Amino acid sequence: MFDPIATPFIKSPAARDPASRNAAQWEARPRLPPTHYVDTRVYTDPELFQEEIEKIWNKVWIPICHESELAEPLDYRTSAVGGGTPIVVVRGKDFQIRSFFNICPHRGNVIVRSPAGNLGKAEPSGNPKHMTCMYHGFQFDARGRCVEIPREQAGYQDRLCKADLGLREIKTEVAHGGFVWVNLDDACEPLADFMAGAFDFMSQELDTEPLEIFHYQKSMFRINYKQWHETSREFYHDYMHYHNRQTGMIQKGYFERKYTPFPNGHAATGLTTINYEAYEGNKERILTFPGMPKNGWKQLNLFPACTYSLRASCLRVSVMTPVGHDSVLIEIRGLGLKGDTADERHERIVDHDSIWGPFGRNLHEDLLVVQTQYEAMRRGSGNKYHLMAREENNTIHDEIGLRSYYEEWSRRMGRPASDPSQVSHAE
Amino acid sequence: MPSESPAEYRLATGARVALETALQVHELIYESCLLLNAEQWDDYLNLCDPQEFRYRITNYSPEMRKEQYWMDRDHAGLKQLVGLLPKHNSDHSQLTRHAVVYKVQQEGPSVLSAVTSLTLYKTQLDGVNSHFESGRTELFAVGTYLDRICVAGAVPRLLGRTVRLDTRQLGIGSHYLF
Repeated sequence: MFDPIATPFIKSPAARDPASRNAAQWEARPRLPPTHYVDTRVYTDPELFQEEIEKIWNKVWIPICHESELAEPLDYRTSAVGGGTPIVVVRGKDFQIRSFFNICPHRGNVIVRSPAGNLGKAEPSGNPKHMTCMYHGFQFDARGRCVEIPREQAGYQDRLCKADLGLREIKTEVAHGGFVWVNLDDACEPLADFMAGAFDFMSQELDTEPLEIFHYQKSMFRINYKQWHETSREFYHDYMHYHNRQTGMIQKGYFERKYTPFPNGHAATGLTTINYEAYEGNKERILTFPGMPKNGWKQLNLFPACTYSLRASCLRVSVMTPVGHDSVLIEIRGLGLKGDTADERHERIVDHDSIWGPFGRNLHEDLLVVQTQYEAMRRGSGNKYHLMAREENNTIHDEIGLRSYYEEWSRRMGRPASDPSQVSHAE
Repeated sequence: MPSESPAEYRLATGARVALETALQVHELIYESCLLLNAEQWDDYLNLCDPQEFRYRITNYSPEMRKEQYWMDRDHAGLKQLVGLLPKHNSDHSQLTRHAVVYKVQQEGPSVLSAVTSLTLYKTQLDGVNSHFESGRTELFAVGTYLDRICVAGAVPRLLGRTVRLDTRQLGIGSHYLF
């Protein structure tokens, strides 16, 4: 006979396992030093993002393109910095590369619209060799000088003239493998001071022979820019990459690879050797860069959002343009030596694309994870803290690279990343 | 007006091929799409010549002002690549190819080339947040298949496929063949 007391229809809720956490425990601050975790508001708060633009992005050196993208006099390349300000990089007739706001001083229109080109080609409303704003026909030369104002005297008489309306020039240096670096801060420190020696361990490879771009890709993502940089800042996630597990993690010496933080938030992962043949179908990398051992791999992460990854036969440089707290453009360039033969170049491209192209094995996994990660920490929900607490004597799975990044972030923002609602000190 | 033989197919160049051959080319391309849509990678590779087949994904970059390719593999390389898919973490969202054969041309006595307009749609599964996104379809890429096909044997075989992309912002990219 059915006994409702002995066999209740409604069972009591299962007891919570002591190892899982309730809401208060989930929300509790980690029992770790504040340097070893971050509050996820650093990724999701729109006001903090605006502050980052002012205090970080408008004051640091950023590589925006490679010199081989504007190889000839009057070649130009358009880009954006500091949260989206359009800029144009131009190589002058004197072969110097200069950068300007790509904004007409008259009524604020974007002047040069194509991603790249040569000013030798006439535009419908302007002369060759000039950058012409199509709106009212103002023209500028490769030095940023205003050289044409339609009906200047008739409209402005002596109140305004071309000399008053030049373009806003941006601090520009070409360095570290031929990249074009810009800084919006006219009072900024020289690029070499900002780098603080971080490039020294890679300079022979980058600066012995000219490099040349062979790969370019970009995409907009609904993530915070720091997430993407973090995938280069720590290698603990090699567990996610079958390619890296096979060619790296199970190989001798992997766990001894050193991580070195530098001043200003930069961090380098030292030389290691990759066993490419351990991934089925791969072959060892024959080509390399000057001074780089065969199958070698070095990586440098630059504050706030650039990575140089020199992997055997190819250099990958990843750069970001943040547009909002949850919106970023990621650009990836692949480079080889300018003096490559056609066969060598082909080999470098195949090597590059097998890992990093849009169809590469690792890039897809890295982008997939940051996309799903952001889904789990939208503002007001999800995980409140991210842990960065692995300490392994500054070796490859130590999260020193993340901690050094947020140490610099906190210094520049004047707020601890572990609790950005607190103002720690003014920078 | 000269009458057209019902057994012949007039190519855009004015040359003629057997109607059956032209139909075989169309069917091969459409069959390749069906197999790729179904993620039957090995069956797709069975449509390709194991010695000669070369698969490339290319585009023109206006940023670099030059051509680039994002994949270049032979038959054996592709077979290894797809064989390792289960070991990788991938976006498993389904890709659906909409293809229209625009043009067939005779390249040699038994080799034809075909230009096929390609549109790829992605139907989300686990690439973002499956609760909100799964089942939503978005345009993923547009481009062209540039195929070379051998019609000498009992069944036509793909000798080469270049996926020429117009779309250059591919988001998180893909582990799958286009």
